[in-house]
Amino acid sequence: MGYSKVNECVIATDLYYSVADNTWARVNEDGTVYIGMTDIAQSLAGPILHAKAKPVGKVRKKGRPIATVESGKWVGPIKTPLSGEIVETNKALEEDVQLLNKSPYNKGWVVKLQPSDLENELKEMVTGDEAVEQYKEKIDRDGIQACAHIEGTEDYE
Amino acid sequence: MEDFEGKKILVIQTHGVDTPKRTYSPLYYAVASAAMEIETTVWFTMNGTNQLRKGVAEMIKLDPSSNVTLASMLQMCLDNEVKLAVCQQSLALWNMTPDDLIDGVEIFGATTIIDLALNYDHVMYF
Repeated sequence: MGYSKVNECVIATDLYYSVADNTWARVNEDGTVYIGMTDIAQSLAGPILHAKAKPVGKVRKKGRPIATVESGKWVGPIKTPLSGEIVETNKALEEDVQLLNKSPYNKGWVVKLQPSDLENELKEMVTGDEAVEQYKEKIDRDGIQACAHIEGTEDYE
Repeated sequence: MEDFEGKKILVIQTHGVDTPKRTYSPLYYAVASAAMEIETTVWFTMNGTNQLRKGVAEMIKLDPSSNVTLASMLQMCLDNEVKLAVCQQSLALWNMTPDDLIDGVEIFGATTIIDLALNYDHVMYF
C-alpha cells in the first residue's frame, strides 16, 4: 500500500475517498468494501472515546450514517460513501476504539459493506494522485492544521 | 448498535449564557442523537433563550485553549439536522424579537411544545 502525506495527514493512495465526508473505501476481491474514516477525520476529532456502528443487515444509501463516533470535543456520524448492506462491523473497535486514531486505514475500518451500485458510485469518489490533490486543496481551503497522531499510531512511511 | 432510526427526542434547554457550563451538554447530546438518526429537536425556553441572540454564543467558551464556542455547538446542531426552536413567549422575557435570533431557529408557541412532548419518544429536560 502506498501513502502520501499532506500537512502530516496520511492519504493511502490505493483507497477511494469521499473528500467532503472524510471517508474512504477499499474494494475487496469478493466485491465487498471496507469503509472507514480518514487520518484527517481522526485528527480533527481527537482521541476517540466511543464508536457505535449500525447493525449488520442494515441497508444504507450513500450519505447515510454507518456509525456514530464521539471524542471529548466532537460527536457525529460517519457517512457511507457507497450504498449497500452492512455485512460486518469491526469487532476490534470494541476492544480498542482508538484503532480509529492509530490505524485509520487498516485495523480501524468501521464496517464492511456489500455495495449495491459500486460501479457508478465509485466514479464519484477519488483515488491516487487525484485524492492527494483534492486533500491538498481541502486542507488549504479549510485551514486544517497539521494532523495529530496519538501514541501507538501505525507507521505510514 | 441497536437501530433507533425513526425515533424522536425532544431536548428542553432552560440554561443560558449566565450559566455557561450548563449550555454545551444538551447540545452535544442532541448532535449525538441526530447522528444516530433520531429526529431531534432542541427547545429553548426560560434562560435558554438568551443564547440564541445574534452575536452572544460566540462569546461563550468553556475551554480557553479550544476554538469551540457555544456558537460552534449550535452550528454543529444545525449541520447535523437538529431542529432548533425557541419559545415564543420567552423572547419577550429577554426583550428579543424574531430578528434578534440567529439563523435557523424556529419559533413555537406553548401548544406546539406540548404537542411535541406528547408525540416524541423521549423528552430530556435540562
